[in-house]
Amino acid sequence: MRDWVALVREGLGNLDLSPAQQEETVAELAGHLEDVYIELRAKGHSESEAVDRALNEVSDWGKLAGEIRGARREEGNMNSRTRSFWLPGLVSLTGSMGLLMVLQRLNLQPYVSWYRAEVALTFYLPWLIAQPVFGAIGAYLSGRSGSSRSIRLAAGLFPAIAMLGLFCVTLLAGVFVERNAFIWHHLAYLALTTGVWVVTPGIGLLLGTLPFLKTPKALLSQPMVEN
Amino acid sequence: MTKRIPSRIARGSAELAILALLAEEPLYGFEIAKQIEAKSQGALRFNLASLYPMLYELEKRGWVRGRWEANRAGRDRRYYCLTSAGKRKLVPLRREWRFFFQALDRLAGVARA
Repeated sequence: MRDWVALVREGLGNLDLSPAQQEETVAELAGHLEDVYIELRAKGHSESEAVDRALNEVSDWGKLAGEIRGARREEGNMNSRTRSFWLPGLVSLTGSMGLLMVLQRLNLQPYVSWYRAEVALTFYLPWLIAQPVFGAIGAYLSGRSGSSRSIRLAAGLFPAIAMLGLFCVTLLAGVFVERNAFIWHHLAYLALTTGVWVVTPGIGLLLGTLPFLKTPKALLSQPMVEN
Repeated sequence: MTKRIPSRIARGSAELAILALLAEEPLYGFEIAKQIEAKSQGALRFNLASLYPMLYELEKRGWVRGRWEANRAGRDRRYYCLTSAGKRKLVPLRREWRFFFQALDRLAGVARA
């Protein structure tokens, strides 16, 4: 029979409850999975089928952990969304922007590509290459707080999302406040700039985020343990 | 064969279903899930992921209380029982749902469907 306690412990991660509450939750949920398994075996299902169906009781462990944390934790602590999204996202953003500032301080020359010989598109290659690291940091910190897959993805991509938001604000301010005609005459340039500062780093961030979107290994490949 | 109620509707009824069951006897999570499924003739089904966050929420509100005991098979399980606050909550909750079904019936003829 499977080691249900180890499986639930890995699936839930750190619930940020007291150690006693954490262990109690793990034991209770493991007991439930064990009961499902035993019942299915008693009904004549094969070992692997019973295990699979027991595991189907939970489709997203991160989401479940978040819900349990919200339900069991006393009021007054940092709320779950802050812990699982805003904080990891801001750490990722700070790291990413911090590196860009350092590179600029060091007078690192960016690779420049000219658009119609009028406007320069600048690529800080070392910065772009480092983006997977910041995506991974955001997704890892988010996952550690037991977030769902979509929140982990959003936390990993946060620097690109923030940059897109900044672009939108700048664009709207340019159009409606400054009445800047340049924007209307250079829409292709805007699209290219968005590509350089949002899409390209976004792809790098996504690459770093992907490994942290997987279901915990123990839920997929934990070896059978004989009783 | 009874059709299963969509999860978005089932979630709304979970509070009532759990409190009503625990009003009869203390049960542990797996038993609660099995009894809900059996008594609703398969129309309502709660799995681990949908049941426990609700149980913990009810416990935080002080409507149920969990206590470790050995079940019939000798395994330690966390039994939930209704608290006096839970018993008091169950009365208006039943009334609200009755009112809701009557209103829905007047609106959409649910009972005659």
